[in-house]
Amino acid sequence: MNGRAMIAGVIGVLTLLFALAPLYRGEVELPTAEHHLLHAAIVTGAALSGVLAWNPAFARTSRLAPLWLLIAICAPILAMFLMWPSEYAFLDRHPGGHAIEHLGLVGLGFVTGYSGQRYAAGIGWATGAALLIMSLLAPLGYGVSPPPAAIAALPTAAPAAEEPASPSDAGRGAALYKQSCASCHGTSGEGGLGPSLKNERSRKDIEQTARWIRNPAPPMPKLFPATLTEKDVREVSAFVQKL
Amino acid sequence: MSAQRIMWLYILTGLAILVLMMLLGITMRMEQAGWLSYDATAFYSLLTLHGVGMLTAVALAGLGTLWYLVSRETVLDARIAYLAYAFFIAGVLCVIASVLGHFGALWTMLYPLPFVEASWPGWATGTYLIGNLLVMIGFTLWCVQILAALLQRYGISGMLGVEYIFRGRTFEAAGRRPPPPQMFAALIVSIDGFLASIAGMAIVIALIVRWADASVELDPLWAKNLTYFFGHSFANLTMYMAVAGVYVGLPLCTKREYHTSRPLVIAWWGTLTFVIFAYFHHLYMDFVQPQGVQFVGEIASYLAAIPVVVVTVYGGVLLVHRSGMRWSMGAMFLYAGMIGWVVGGTGAVLDATIPFNFDLHNTLWVPAHFHTYLLEGVVAFTLGWAFVNLEQRSGAVSPSLIRWVTGTCIFGGGALFLLSFYLAGSSGVPRRVAIEPPPGPAIAAVASIGAIVVLIGLLICLAEGVRLARLPRKETA
Repeated sequence: MNGRAMIAGVIGVLTLLFALAPLYRGEVELPTAEHHLLHAAIVTGAALSGVLAWNPAFARTSRLAPLWLLIAICAPILAMFLMWPSEYAFLDRHPGGHAIEHLGLVGLGFVTGYSGQRYAAGIGWATGAALLIMSLLAPLGYGVSPPPAAIAALPTAAPAAEEPASPSDAGRGAALYKQSCASCHGTSGEGGLGPSLKNERSRKDIEQTARWIRNPAPPMPKLFPATLTEKDVREVSAFVQKL
Repeated sequence: MSAQRIMWLYILTGLAILVLMMLLGITMRMEQAGWLSYDATAFYSLLTLHGVGMLTAVALAGLGTLWYLVSRETVLDARIAYLAYAFFIAGVLCVIASVLGHFGALWTMLYPLPFVEASWPGWATGTYLIGNLLVMIGFTLWCVQILAALLQRYGISGMLGVEYIFRGRTFEAAGRRPPPPQMFAALIVSIDGFLASIAGMAIVIALIVRWADASVELDPLWAKNLTYFFGHSFANLTMYMAVAGVYVGLPLCTKREYHTSRPLVIAWWGTLTFVIFAYFHHLYMDFVQPQGVQFVGEIASYLAAIPVVVVTVYGGVLLVHRSGMRWSMGAMFLYAGMIGWVVGGTGAVLDATIPFNFDLHNTLWVPAHFHTYLLEGVVAFTLGWAFVNLEQRSGAVSPSLIRWVTGTCIFGGGALFLLSFYLAGSSGVPRRVAIEPPPGPAIAAVASIGAIVVLIGLLICLAEGVRLARLPRKETA
């Protein structure tokens, strides 16, 4: 056995021991992103072992070359499917099933590296890297809810009621402003994603403001007439004049 | 011969899909002009098919061209070319099936659009996503084969031209030469295409899992980044596939050699490094994206495109200058394609500039620039390369009347069609909508006329190509 094969064997055994951890750790409860990262470690070890297990002394050309290449490309795809996030909670509670899933990842990782090398020397590294990149991308959003900051920053425009429910027009203008404009221009018109509306009356009179709201330039969204009625536009314009 | 047969298989399939997609495009512009009337659901389904179909068409033509050019320098396995082709066709058929099921989340399939308030059945979403995955597998097969072949032929530093740049004197004194220019195009397409495919497969698999299991949530910003990483890079790479034909075709027309120069190698390094970061300009208005990334997007958009355009076009113009070149169909399309590349690229660079992007990105300016880039750049290069081959094979050229008519239709009609897009975009007409606000419909009417003229020109051009192909092969000594 040459040194290369020995290294492949050592890495393979260590990866396998790591992959079988659920059997001796029992039930666990891991966040999805962390679970993905541990899977990335498993497939990386397995792919590395697959690359090193290939013996360069083998014939460089093979009649099965297209098949080796196809396997090397499809194995990472299957591994990504195996990282099905909604199954993680179930697998955490069932160590036997969890270990079997990990064995699948080890097998697919190994096949990715080995088949790539069988196709052409050096390609196993590329397909192994592809598998590593895909599994490292997973913790960033695959089965992971959007971060609260992202949700908070989303515009909160909602359809306005057709008839006023508030006691006064000015009050209703404020309510409409809060509903449709504040997410970008700030609750008091101080600005944010959109420009400040403080002292807007020095730049536009009420008619000009209303015209702008009806036909804004991008990136300001056009809310008239789908969301804001003509009456709404007048009331919001009146409110903006008071900022 | 086998390599030529593969090239023509890819190019002809690409051109056939292109004509069908142009027909769809014309019906959509006519609907926006008010000349045709169909419901919005059908419009968005056709828009989806038009986007995927066009990109697949120009990619197939470009991949066929590059496959042939690389096979002239090193050994390639024809079975992989056919296997990749089979994946492409299977993918296209899946996409067509999904559109028959009224899938209409557009070719960008931005999460969560394929899944919310859908007016199409669930199977259509799944079929569309699987179709995309099949196309990506086909593209990855192609990329990895080319990459492996280039590695075996030149080695890593050889194929990047590292020694040629850093140890030029000893390199040349040893009688060595860097790879020809078309190999750099092949290298960039295979490396960046492989990286883009990794991102593309990751997001498509996540979307397929989300389709099969609604309890799986994805981060929309993550999904958008990966979608555009693949989508923008893939669309951009179609140009670099086609430009390889210029490096070989233009020398055949001018009887001069297109040398690999140091500026050319460095320009291609710029593209290699930056093309995968240029997609950030699609996310300028996603305010939760880290701000630093937005600046990277702007700079990468410049560095990926400008150097290689300048060096390639400058080299091409010098090649033609005082060469006594005969203006055959092939020469005309290759030369005009360079102009289309510059104009479309300028529109793209403007859109990638943050202050302009805020005003232009959600308008018809965006389809204006990529239609220029694709129609008057990539398609022109593809037609040019195809005609140069046909002219070389038969030893004949097309009558000047045919050349004038096709040139006037494709570039004159194209100008009308494209200027309408630019005008509508600069007037703030939004893109991707079935019913456009004024002045959209009036402009769409002019655009429809332009597009019909282009299609007529293309059909005459294809008929002329068939005529040249049927001529007996030129006898060579």
